Amino acid sequence: MAALDQKSPNVLLQSLCCRITGKSEAEVAHQFQYAVRVVGSNYAPTIERDEFLVSEKIKKELLKQRREGDAALFSELHRKLQTQGVLKHRWSVLYLLLSLCEDPRKPSRVGSYGALFAQALPRDAHSTPFYCTRPGSLPLSYPERSGPGAAQISTSMGTSGISSLGVYSLNGPTPQPLLQPGLHRQQLGSRLAWALPNTSALAPTSRAPLGPPPLSTRAPRPRHDGDLTAEVGEAALVRDILYVFQGIDGKFIKMSNTDNCYKIDSKVVLCKSLRDTSSRLAELGWLHNKIRKYTDLRSLDRAFGLVGQSFCASLHQELKEYYRLLAVLHSQLQVEDDQGVNLGVESSLTLRRLLVWTYDPKVRLKTLAALVDFCQGRKGGELASAVHAYGKTGDPQMRALVQHILSLVSHPILNFLYRWIYDGELEDTYHEFFVASDPTVKTDRLWHDKYSLRKSMIPTFITMDQARKVLLIGKSINFLHQVCHDRTSPGKITPASKSTDSPKDAAELLSDLEGAFQGKIDAAYFETSKYLLNVLNQNYLLLEHLQAMRRYLLLGQGDFIRHLMDLLKPELARPATTLYQHNLTGILETAVRATNAQYDNAEILKRLDVRLLEVSPGDTGWDVFSLDYHVEGPIATVFTRECMSHYLRVFNFLWRAKRMEYILTDIWKGQMCNAKLLKSMPELSGVLHQCHILANEMVHFIHQMQYYITFEVLECCWDELWNKVEKAQDLDHIIAAHEGFLDSVISRCLLDTNSRSLLNQLRAIFDQIIEFQSAQDSLYRSALEELTLRLQYEERKKQRDGEWGVTAEQEAEENRRIQEFQETIPKMRSQLRILTHFYQGIVQQFLVLIMTSPDESLRFLSFRLDFNEHYRARDPRLRASLGATRGRRPSNI
Amino acid sequence: MASSANANNMNAVRETMDVLLEISRLLNTGLDMESLSICVRLCEQGINPEALSSVIKELRKASDSLKASDN
Repeated sequence: MAALDQKSPNVLLQSLCCRITGKSEAEVAHQFQYAVRVVGSNYAPTIERDEFLVSEKIKKELLKQRREGDAALFSELHRKLQTQGVLKHRWSVLYLLLSLCEDPRKPSRVGSYGALFAQALPRDAHSTPFYCTRPGSLPLSYPERSGPGAAQISTSMGTSGISSLGVYSLNGPTPQPLLQPGLHRQQLGSRLAWALPNTSALAPTSRAPLGPPPLSTRAPRPRHDGDLTAEVGEAALVRDILYVFQGIDGKFIKMSNTDNCYKIDSKVVLCKSLRDTSSRLAELGWLHNKIRKYTDLRSLDRAFGLVGQSFCASLHQELKEYYRLLAVLHSQLQVEDDQGVNLGVESSLTLRRLLVWTYDPKVRLKTLAALVDFCQGRKGGELASAVHAYGKTGDPQMRALVQHILSLVSHPILNFLYRWIYDGELEDTYHEFFVASDPTVKTDRLWHDKYSLRKSMIPTFITMDQARKVLLIGKSINFLHQVCHDRTSPGKITPASKSTDSPKDAAELLSDLEGAFQGKIDAAYFETSKYLLNVLNQNYLLLEHLQAMRRYLLLGQGDFIRHLMDLLKPELARPATTLYQHNLTGILETAVRATNAQYDNAEILKRLDVRLLEVSPGDTGWDVFSLDYHVEGPIATVFTRECMSHYLRVFNFLWRAKRMEYILTDIWKGQMCNAKLLKSMPELSGVLHQCHILANEMVHFIHQMQYYITFEVLECCWDELWNKVEKAQDLDHIIAAHEGFLDSVISRCLLDTNSRSLLNQLRAIFDQIIEFQSAQDSLYRSALEELTLRLQYEERKKQRDGEWGVTAEQEAEENRRIQEFQETIPKMRSQLRILTHFYQGIVQQFLVLIMTSPDESLRFLSFRLDFNEHYRARDPRLRASLGATRGRRPSNI
Repeated sequence: MASSANANNMNAVRETMDVLLEISRLLNTGLDMESLSICVRLCEQGINPEALSSVIKELRKASDSLKASDN
């Protein structure tokens, strides 16, 4: 113990005093006396002499100051101390150190010394410690305790505060303002008190030495459930705003349903700038609510469909990002709370900072909310169109966002599309796709009626043309499967059909709608249609059937028709009721076998049949006879029932015209034959001449009509049709071309409703011809009869050789008969004249009607019919109208 | 021998003082080396540490006020 001087305690004490106060011995006399007294008073220690306890206390102290590292260090040192064994009274040293321990955060336990010092130091007018060197809070409370020495004390406190502050800020975090337990218990309750505006009153006395900075950093310390009558600080608002961001009502900012906005409670005292800023921030919460409401509502709606669900999912994703931001903000706030301190001005959450950080999310949320508004009540393709419409903006951020959502939303639609194109399958429970299938339609009408376009569901990024092609492709595949019974897998038809597997593919596709997408659709269209047409032509002989229609129903196969007519003539002359179908069919077969028709395809021949139309009274066979052609299966798609009825009408017309030709040929034949024979009857020559003239007129007319029908109508239309069919790319083209063909044939054959008057005229002409035929027949009959009788008479005369040829009375009888005969001639003549007149009248009317027809070829027909202006001379109307067109033309040029 | 023992002692004492100084620094007592050694000596002589600490505190306060009044 040589190192420890064996000085008396007094000496030591004195030196201690000098040391601590830093003054010379003389000046510390007062203190020294006091110290001696204290030490000598020798009052019983209030503590146990337990080293272990003391060390534990020290450790606890250190831990309370959150200095775990130091506590560990202390244990280390203590252990060392124990091993060294130099000190004898370790516990007392430790205890001394402990009691001298300056916790910058807590006041030392000085209560017990209060009385002690009160006696000793008259300066200590107060019992409470001034050792709580908490610069910030204490000045608040001190003036309330004001005594005479208060000002002085507080200033002294202030200085000590400063110095201690200087010291402590080096060591640890800036002091937390906790109030002392001693006097001011009522202030403990409202911990907000130190933030009250009362501080302003204290400013001059106590604040000055402290300076504003430490206070202001701690002013917005939200550690309270404050009373709302006080002004709300920024931190409180920040907390509220973070709640509002999620759509939850905060303490001060609540959702007002009437105005549909977030409003700050009017009772709250708030400075204007804070109010404005928080209103601006609250908008984010409103936007969030809107989007959230939409997604929540829609997710409950079961019938919303795939497109809608993907839309909600994309909105959810965006909201998740937003929540992530909120979580980050929250954690920031949390960190501040836990540490209980401000980390300095740079890292605290203020409203300004929130404004800046939430700017981008606000823009995004605004876009989403606008989208949500726009898409209310839409689903399926409509929804995709709505989203697409929003993508047309110049702002690249917004565009990127909308494109992203669009790619997600259109992914289901593109899936539908690819399935439809490549497999022909449509699984659309929510009616979102733009191809609609009608389940009630049966197979025979599959092509025409089953599939249609739902126009509202076509997204705007798919053009009408593309949509129609898509419809056609799927329709073709279904047609192949169901009607043609062709089970080749669609994979063979269109190779490499890759559906959109991921939204990324959809996005890529959308970005290149003109190129890749169109290419895909075109390829699929081309392949599928080609395949379909191949199947139809090879397996079902579509084109052959088309030609067969032409040959048989449109009287294309001349020899067959002629022969048929020859065979049928005796049958059809009978009344209609006596006709039997099987007879006629037999005749048909005979005709087929006898002509070139026998070399036709057996498929075609077996479809050819006779049909008897409905019988009205007075009909002959000619009126009810008709050919028929059976169609079924895929062919029936092209030759629908309406088409077949059109064909039959045209056949009827053509058959009738043909019959007229036939009749006139007979007439001409008869005329040629009988002219020679009847040369010997000069009285008949006039009548016969009339007959010949009329017959010629009729022949000419019918000739021109036939020419018109065959060449101008049938051949031209057929040529057009055939061209179109050869060039056709899909079945729709063929069907359209075919229908066009029939329409034009019908209108040109005067069978449509516009030309009804013309048709009637024509019918009338035909009737006249028939009448003429019968008249001529009767004329010839009687003439021939007369001829034979006369010849017989001559014969008889010649027979009576040697005698008088005839007796007087025979001669008289003969003369009488001849007389009678010659009397009938004028009757016949007048009959013929009437017939001629009538016929010519009808023809003139016909000509007038044709002249004014809009169809050019009919007008040309009129020229041909009246090539030598024979009718024009007779009819002033014709003269006028013909002259009008013929005469005026040069002058118009 | 004695000197080595003394030297050893000296070392031990010095070490102890170092440790104590370290502890005192940890605990933020504000005592410098000399004051600390005086205090240790006083404690070794049996002075009540409570009293001693109160004396020190009072002395400090007094010195501060003295300084303030001087200013």
